[in-house]
Amino acid sequence: MDVASHEDAAETQDAGRPDPLLRVAGLTKRYGDQAALADISFDVQAGEVLGLIGPNGAGKTTLLEAVAGVLPADAGAIVSRGDRLPLARRREVMFYLPDGIQPYRDQPVARVLTFFAGVYRRSSGDVAGAVASLGLAPVLGKRVQSLSKGYNRRLLLALGLIAPHPLLLMDEPFDGFDLRQSRAIGGVLRQAAAKGRALVLAIHQLMDAQRVCDRFILLADGRVRGVGTLADLRARTGLPAANLEEVFLALT
Amino acid sequence: MHSPEMPSFYAPLRPLLAKEIREVLGGRALWIMLLLLCPLVGYSFFQAVSLYGEASTAALQSPVLARSLSPLDGVLVPSFGAFYVAVTLLFPFVAIRVLGHEKESGALRLLVQLPYRSATLIAAKLAAVLAAWLLASLPVLSALAIWRALGGHMAAAETLNLLLGHLLYGALVGAIALFAAAVSESAATAAIVALAFTIGSWVLDFTVAGQPGVFAWISQMSLTQTLHVFEQGMFSVGLVLGIAVAIAGFAALAAIWLPPGVAPRTKLVRSFGCMAAATILFAAVSRIGLAADVTEDRRNSFSAADQRALAALAKPLMVTVHLAPEDPRYVDLGRNVLAKLGRALPDLSVRLAGARTLAAGSGDDRYGEIEYAYGGRRDVSRSTSPREILPLIYGLADVPVPTPAGADEYPGYPLAGDGYAALPWFFGGLPLAIGFAWWRTRRPPRIDPELIKQNKEDAHEDQ
Repeated sequence: MDVASHEDAAETQDAGRPDPLLRVAGLTKRYGDQAALADISFDVQAGEVLGLIGPNGAGKTTLLEAVAGVLPADAGAIVSRGDRLPLARRREVMFYLPDGIQPYRDQPVARVLTFFAGVYRRSSGDVAGAVASLGLAPVLGKRVQSLSKGYNRRLLLALGLIAPHPLLLMDEPFDGFDLRQSRAIGGVLRQAAAKGRALVLAIHQLMDAQRVCDRFILLADGRVRGVGTLADLRARTGLPAANLEEVFLALT
Repeated sequence: MHSPEMPSFYAPLRPLLAKEIREVLGGRALWIMLLLLCPLVGYSFFQAVSLYGEASTAALQSPVLARSLSPLDGVLVPSFGAFYVAVTLLFPFVAIRVLGHEKESGALRLLVQLPYRSATLIAAKLAAVLAAWLLASLPVLSALAIWRALGGHMAAAETLNLLLGHLLYGALVGAIALFAAAVSESAATAAIVALAFTIGSWVLDFTVAGQPGVFAWISQMSLTQTLHVFEQGMFSVGLVLGIAVAIAGFAALAAIWLPPGVAPRTKLVRSFGCMAAATILFAAVSRIGLAADVTEDRRNSFSAADQRALAALAKPLMVTVHLAPEDPRYVDLGRNVLAKLGRALPDLSVRLAGARTLAAGSGDDRYGEIEYAYGGRRDVSRSTSPREILPLIYGLADVPVPTPAGADEYPGYPLAGDGYAALPWFFGGLPLAIGFAWWRTRRPPRIDPELIKQNKEDAHEDQ
């Protein structure tokens, strides 16, 4: 299916509904003969937290990177508010926070934050808000390379909060946090969503996902195995009291 | 905090430039290169000044000997020679880090999402590379200052021209390194690619320079050949523009290969387009013959009287050379006569009619002859000296041989002495200053109180 037909199909499917903040239509990524992503389609509405759920190797990171435009896709369309987003325009709508990176290792945390604030013309108050909500104050003078995994993750989340994009894509935002910290970070993310931002979170810890996300995309072997709220997925599996873990096992 | 909104595509450049400069200063590569440059430049400068001093001792007794003493050849070029070696071998590592570090840490995936075009990102990185080059040139610039302090002479035009040549060479090495970093997955691979260009130039110099035909064309691709023109005191507009095109071309290729989200096939197609555009521009600028001899001793020109007389020859001069290109006489003729004639005469054509190789020419009776044709008259000479050839040309044109004015003569600048006074600076003071500057860059920054104000307020509320 080509890009235009993917867009047409998506438009027909949702005729009459407001255009979603993000529409992914028929996204496909191959490595040789192996399909890392096979015809992935989903929507993201403003203000919602969408969980991308799947085991390691399911294609979560590949999907986020292909949507963000930091990995070339073989087919598919990315549409925002009805406008197709070519590669160069993705950064106008979304900001992607990869997993396992240490941005600007030789620089102190404060400089990394003020660099992003400078680029996006954010005020000191915006940076201070991100610092306060993510508890970064004790490490502002430390170099990024000396941060623990948890603080490095907080720094990345702070960059996401400073970035002004209406859509944030985050790969494993809870990795490196204990239970209390995960809950606190989940609260910060929910606050961001309450202000109208949409979040797409790739999460492999299903408890974290169930606590934070409004809707879920269940991904396995590069294919979508289910999309919807927990209630939708329970209805589909016929397991009315199931938690996300049980639903996921039933559908994949 | 803020409500979501679409970010403006045009972001301020200042934070990006500041970040790139901090990044290049934050790495160890630049500082290690600076520390290595201290003894390298220091010893070269010491040797050059000492040898120049020895030659000057004899020249002080003889004005004729003094005329051959030029600080450009005796001190400046040898001192910059050590800098050139460091830029060729070490500077690629500094420049690769500017991009390679972000690739290896994963920060590139954040960088390409910022609201800057790839070309802007690469331009900012190239600016940081130039800032690093400027910092790395401090040892050699300090050598110039010491030379002046010792009472040495420096002609502004030839010194600035030499600096320009090294700046362009540094920018070219930097652009090649950025391109190498953009196309390579790791810094190690990028280093191999970049050194293939820089050390490959040396290989070209040793193997094909002076060879005829296509080898002559290939040898012109050597990066070091471009620097030689500046070292000889020539300012060539075509060469400067040619290097600028090469820098822009490598930077454009780096910008093409920077975004990880673009398919390799698309990058290849764009690269071919970029190379085609660069080739066309090269061809255009290579036709620009505008050049100036900026040396104080006018070594690349005839005397002012000859220059004026030759400039007045309105008809075309045709020179037919019966020599093989690798024949040393042809090299002499080119350097001493033809190149200078090309810049002085309004219309000069040179035809190489000799054998293609030195061995093939041995059986040709006319081999070694140089035929001059002007205004329907012809003459032949075997000399490669302007003292014989210029009167021959004036004879063909039927104009009197101009009388050189005494004021034209270069006096020479002997300076008896040695460079021992510079050694404590290069082996002590400068390395200590560099170490101190390094330490300053590693100090934790002052935290803006605004950033932690909200934190303190929250803490108070909790209490």
